[in-house]
Amino acid sequence: MQNAKDTFYTTLRDRLATVNPARTMVVRSVTRPAVLVEENELPSDAVPVDAFRLRWTSLKVDPDGALPLVTMVCEIRYATDGSSGNGGMDRGRLLAAMDAELASALSASPRSAVKTSYSTAPPLPLNTNVFWGEVTFNPAAVAGERLERVATLEVFCYQEAGEL
Amino acid sequence: MSGLVEATAPVTRRVRAYFAPVNRTAGVPAVFDAAQLGGFALDAPPAPWIDLGWCSGFARKCATKVAALRTGAPAVAETQVRTEVEATVALEFESWGKLQMALAAGSQQMNLLVPTAGAAANGSGGVATAAVPLAAGSTAASLNVGAAASFNIGDLVAVDVDYTGQLGFVGSGVSGAYVASSAAVNGDINYVRRISLNVARVIAIANGALQLGGPLLAGAPSPGMQVSRLLGFVDREGGSWFQEWSALFVMEGEQSDRVIFHYPRLQAMQGAAESATTLAAPLERLRLTGAFRALPVKDANDGETVVCFRSYLPGAMRAV
Repeated sequence: MQNAKDTFYTTLRDRLATVNPARTMVVRSVTRPAVLVEENELPSDAVPVDAFRLRWTSLKVDPDGALPLVTMVCEIRYATDGSSGNGGMDRGRLLAAMDAELASALSASPRSAVKTSYSTAPPLPLNTNVFWGEVTFNPAAVAGERLERVATLEVFCYQEAGEL
Repeated sequence: MSGLVEATAPVTRRVRAYFAPVNRTAGVPAVFDAAQLGGFALDAPPAPWIDLGWCSGFARKCATKVAALRTGAPAVAETQVRTEVEATVALEFESWGKLQMALAAGSQQMNLLVPTAGAAANGSGGVATAAVPLAAGSTAASLNVGAAASFNIGDLVAVDVDYTGQLGFVGSGVSGAYVASSAAVNGDINYVRRISLNVARVIAIANGALQLGGPLLAGAPSPGMQVSRLLGFVDREGGSWFQEWSALFVMEGEQSDRVIFHYPRLQAMQGAAESATTLAAPLERLRLTGAFRALPVKDANDGETVVCFRSYLPGAMRAV
C-alpha cells in the first residue's frame, strides 16, 4: 500500500509541476513543487499556503478476487491568503487557479500510473497500476482572510504477491 | 517484484466509440483487425476509423437463441444448436456532432442548407441557395473558393457533388441516402449536399481559401464538388433509410489491458431519441441515444457467419 501512496504522490507532484512550474515551495531549505504528503513531513501546526497537502485517510481492502483490491481515500488540502501586493483581494482567483491545476492534473489521461517501489534506488516498477476515481471538491471554507478547500478522491491498487 | 501477476477483471471507466463507413454499393464493411491494430492510441485511430468520442450507457445485448436437440424417450438433450443469431448494442453519445447525429437518428439525417430568399417552407429545409464551386488546389482541410465567395469564419459547410440524376446510394465518403428516382428528389441539384456527411466548420479564411476545423470525411474534394453553407442538421421520424456503419468500441482497462468490441455492420433499430440528465433543475443535459442491431459478416478464417467480435488484450505479465 505504501508503494501505491508513493506512486500517487509522485505522479500528482509531477503533473502539477507540469501544469504550473512556478508553483513551488521551500521545505527544509529545498525548493520543490508545492505538493507534500503530511505524514512524510515533520509534524507542524503551520499550514503552508499556495501548496497542496496530501492526507491519507480511510482504507478498505477487498480480498475477493485474484488480487486484493485496495481502496484508499486521499484528501488534498490547499489554502491561500491571496497575494500581499493585492491586499489579499485576489484570494478567490488564486484558489480558483489551484482548483483548476488540481482538476487538470487528476483528470489528465491516463488516470493511472505504474505502481513503483521507491524503497530502492533506482525506483523499481511493479507489475500493476495505481488508478484513481473522480475528484470531489468540497465547499471552500473561510478562515479569517484565508480561503481553504479540501478535495477528496479514491485511489485504487492491487496488492501484489509479496508486496507489503 | 517481477514475474507473472494474477489476472484481474478489467476495470474501465468509459467507452470510446469509432466509426468507419460501409461501402453500401458493394456491401463491404470496414474490418478491424485487433491482431494488427488493437493497441492503437485512442486519440489517433488508424484509418479508416473516425473518432466519435466518449459514450456512456453502453449496453451490449445478445439475442442469440440456443435450443437443445433432444432424442429418445424420455427426451434427453443430446446436443445444442443456434437457432437465431442476433446482437444489439445501445449507447449514449456525449457529443452532438454530425456523425453522431447521423448514426443515432435512426433514419435519414440531413443538412439544413441555407435557403433561397422566399423559398417555400419545408420541414427539412427549403430550396437551397446556389452552391459555390471549388477551384483547383483544395484539400481535405482547405477549400479554395476564391476571394469573391461570401463565407464567414464560423460557417458550417457541406462539400459534395451536384445531383445530376444519380440513382442508388449517394453521398461522398459515407452514403447518406438512397435515391430511387430523380423525380423523388425533385431533381434538386443540391440534394447530395443536403444529405452529405461531408461537412465541416470554417475556422479561418485566407487568400480565398476556407480553412476547416477538421478534415473532410471524404478527403480531398473531387472534381465537380461544390460548397453549400448550412445552418444545422435535421432528422425525421419515419422514412425508408437505414444508416449503416462499422463500429468499434474500446474500453481501456486501468491495468493497461483493453477490451474491444467490433461490429462490422450496425443499423439503427429505433428512431431518434434523447435522454435527459438533470444537472441542477431545471437544467438538463441531453444526450443522443442510439440503439443498433448488428448485421452479419463472414469471418475469413473459417467462413462462419457472425455479427460481432470481442477482443481482449491483457496487460503485460498477466496470467492467462
